[in-house]
Amino acid sequence: MQKSLSRSIGMALYIVFLFVPIYWLLNMSFKTNTDILSSLSFLPPHPTLDNYRKIFIDPDWHASFANSISYVLINTVLSVGVALPAAYAFSRYRFIGDKHLFFWLLSNLMAPPAIYAMPFFNLYSAAGLFDSIWAVALAHCLFNVPLAVWILEGFISGIPREIDETAMIDGYSFPRFFVRIFLPLIANGIGVAAFFCFMFSWVEQLLATTLTTVDAKPIAGMMSRAYSAAGLDWGLLSAAGVLTMIPGAIVIWFVRNHIAKGFALGRV
Amino acid sequence: MVDRRSVLKGGAALGIAGVTGILKSSPSYAQKMDAAKKWVENEFNPSTLSKDEQMAEMEWFVNAAKPFAGMKLSAVSESLKVHDYESKVLTKAFGEITGIDVNHDIMDEGTLVDKIEVEMQSGRPIYDFWMNDSDFIGTHPRYKDIVGGSLTDFMAGDGKDVTSPTLDLEDFMGLSFGTFTDGKLYQLPDQQFANLYWFRYDWFQRPDLKSRFKSKYGYELGVPVNWSAYEDIADFFTNEVKEIDGQRVYGHMDYGKKDPSLGWRFTDAWLSMAGAGDRGLPNGKPVDEWGIRLENGVPVGSSITRGGDANGPAAVYALTKYIEWLKKYAPPEAAGMDFLESGPVVGQGHVAQQIFWYSAFTDSARSSAAVMNPDGTPKWRMAPSPHGAYWKEGMKLGYQDVGCWTMLKYAPLQNVKAGWLYAQFCTSKTVTLKKALVSLHLIRESDVWHPALTELAPKVGGLVEFYRSPARKQWTPTGVNVPDYGKMAQVWWQNIANAISGQVTPQEAMDGLARDQDAIMARIEKSGVQGPLGPKLNKPETAEYWFAKAEKDGNLAPQRKLANEKPQGETIDYDTLIKSWPSTPPKKS
Repeated sequence: MQKSLSRSIGMALYIVFLFVPIYWLLNMSFKTNTDILSSLSFLPPHPTLDNYRKIFIDPDWHASFANSISYVLINTVLSVGVALPAAYAFSRYRFIGDKHLFFWLLSNLMAPPAIYAMPFFNLYSAAGLFDSIWAVALAHCLFNVPLAVWILEGFISGIPREIDETAMIDGYSFPRFFVRIFLPLIANGIGVAAFFCFMFSWVEQLLATTLTTVDAKPIAGMMSRAYSAAGLDWGLLSAAGVLTMIPGAIVIWFVRNHIAKGFALGRV
Repeated sequence: MVDRRSVLKGGAALGIAGVTGILKSSPSYAQKMDAAKKWVENEFNPSTLSKDEQMAEMEWFVNAAKPFAGMKLSAVSESLKVHDYESKVLTKAFGEITGIDVNHDIMDEGTLVDKIEVEMQSGRPIYDFWMNDSDFIGTHPRYKDIVGGSLTDFMAGDGKDVTSPTLDLEDFMGLSFGTFTDGKLYQLPDQQFANLYWFRYDWFQRPDLKSRFKSKYGYELGVPVNWSAYEDIADFFTNEVKEIDGQRVYGHMDYGKKDPSLGWRFTDAWLSMAGAGDRGLPNGKPVDEWGIRLENGVPVGSSITRGGDANGPAAVYALTKYIEWLKKYAPPEAAGMDFLESGPVVGQGHVAQQIFWYSAFTDSARSSAAVMNPDGTPKWRMAPSPHGAYWKEGMKLGYQDVGCWTMLKYAPLQNVKAGWLYAQFCTSKTVTLKKALVSLHLIRESDVWHPALTELAPKVGGLVEFYRSPARKQWTPTGVNVPDYGKMAQVWWQNIANAISGQVTPQEAMDGLARDQDAIMARIEKSGVQGPLGPKLNKPETAEYWFAKAEKDGNLAPQRKLANEKPQGETIDYDTLIKSWPSTPPKKS
């Protein structure tokens, strides 16, 4: 009993500790810059919605939220869509160099996005895609497709081969089998892969800001407006920070039961 | 059944809709003039121009913009209140008056510099035109990336039909900052700011503190003229006064975090204040405050062995004092702060003075009750910064810069021409005074002397007085000696941070910096990318050779180490200083 109580207290303290930065961000978002800089206070001395108001009345902020959400969703659909057949192939077939190729995919994730910035800029400028949500969505595929392949391959390998063979014996064509039988079986895996793609694309800043200017400006680009030679607009930045956490929080809510499996790349 | 009448009706409806659509997308001359009148009457006042003169200026814009009506352009500048005003108000006014739609984007300066570097390296347009600081004046001409070769050439060539007859270039205070060694203008100033000495005027007026200071140091507490006095005042408040009205106070504020902004502290002003570099305005000749020597327009080295001064005794003195003061006199948290974090600290009311403070902070400081009087006047004042032991008359004394409209050659010419119209609109006499009152960034001499500024002066702690003083000419930006600002600014903060953290001595840090600067210039020289104006490094000689040469040539840089780097402190009473400046506009020669 004693042990369980102390464990609960320990866990509660740990969770409180984890929530301190989020609480602090929320606290700052309702403060004026003067209050933020003048003294340490656990509640806003002069609560204000001004920081949120600035964001909600400015069409540039709305547009940047819409841009970010658009390219993140496009990227997630593309990445998972491309990764699914690839992961199936890696899981079910043996071919020359399959293991090397599978590992090589990961090497894309090992390189920092900065080294791709200039080549992507040149490529998309030449292709007329510069400053479009497609530029960012496609650029993020470089990182998200390998990640999705690795996650999905784990989930797919957890499905017995016999199911594929039984479906074939039952007369299912491959596309019908894949869509009607196989996809529902790995639905959790698809959700988890989509979650990781979403999160990477949502927080990636360098490529998103390099490949866009005015028409496809991402939320990260808008947030940089809070930094200026006249000082930092802490309140505005905090309010924007709170708002940018919301889409991620919603996605986490839907896949919360599968995240651990996702981190294990589908293997349990 | 479709009869003839129905067809005619439909056709007429379509025709009207089409004509209406055309009219909607392209306002008539009368509509544009009405819009101009509305903006002149409701927004652009006060102005140094009369209403009729403003309307005449606007009429020129209406006519000049005709070929570009309906175009959509993109421009970009860093986040500052002045650019917020431009992006939200001036783009709207410009759109209604000219029919040209400008998306004026705003971002932090670091991202902007990264983006302009990408455009310069790739040769592919990102924005149609840019606003970047005149620190790039040594960079753009050497990479030959300005449309038409230079702004001067553009105005006389392709941009002739879109250059306003009322531009009045001579009225711009920061014109020399955008001018290269060939005498041509490359960038047009749009907003200006200076780094000045900041102090608590109310504390400096207190008789008890004045008498305590005088009895300890032997001279009056006042605006420090030299670094010795600044140091004494810092010591006085941090170690003698310690507390005012129950609050712990400090005599100095700075920052020391390993961050790119640490480099600005030095490249922007610390070295010139200390006395590194040579005489000459806006930048030392032949050696500037970055320690780079220029011969016939060509950078030839920054190490003392190549005739530069980046690791000379004056530069080492500058860094030594920086570290010493940060550790001895600033609040303990200052060493862990960067530029943005440290900027608002003086507004918290526990710092007595700061050796240089961005005048761009003025507006935000006015919202801090701790340093403002109830009547809306500040408890603080700005004044010219003190100079170090190596500084001599005729040298620059601090940092002042202009954000400039910069038209690169990569965007389509039509876009650049239309963009040039917007740049001139933002800097036109119709607009600039109102823009200055909104943002506290002044660019035109004519605005400085307007009665509206006289009225504003008591509320902005000496900003107006500074711009009316002859002293402002001693405050200048990075200049023509720096062949690639983007690359060279990078090596400053890393070397300096190593000295602040105690890993290396100030001498070793400045040696490393000089070596890194020379290495960058050597790479540019080897690549040949900057042509005949690019760096061509001198062969190394001994430091003694260069000391003797400077003395023989009647120059200052590099200076020998002084026997006494802490001469007697000197101060001046703030009100006496202000009275010594003219209160009427200087006569133009």
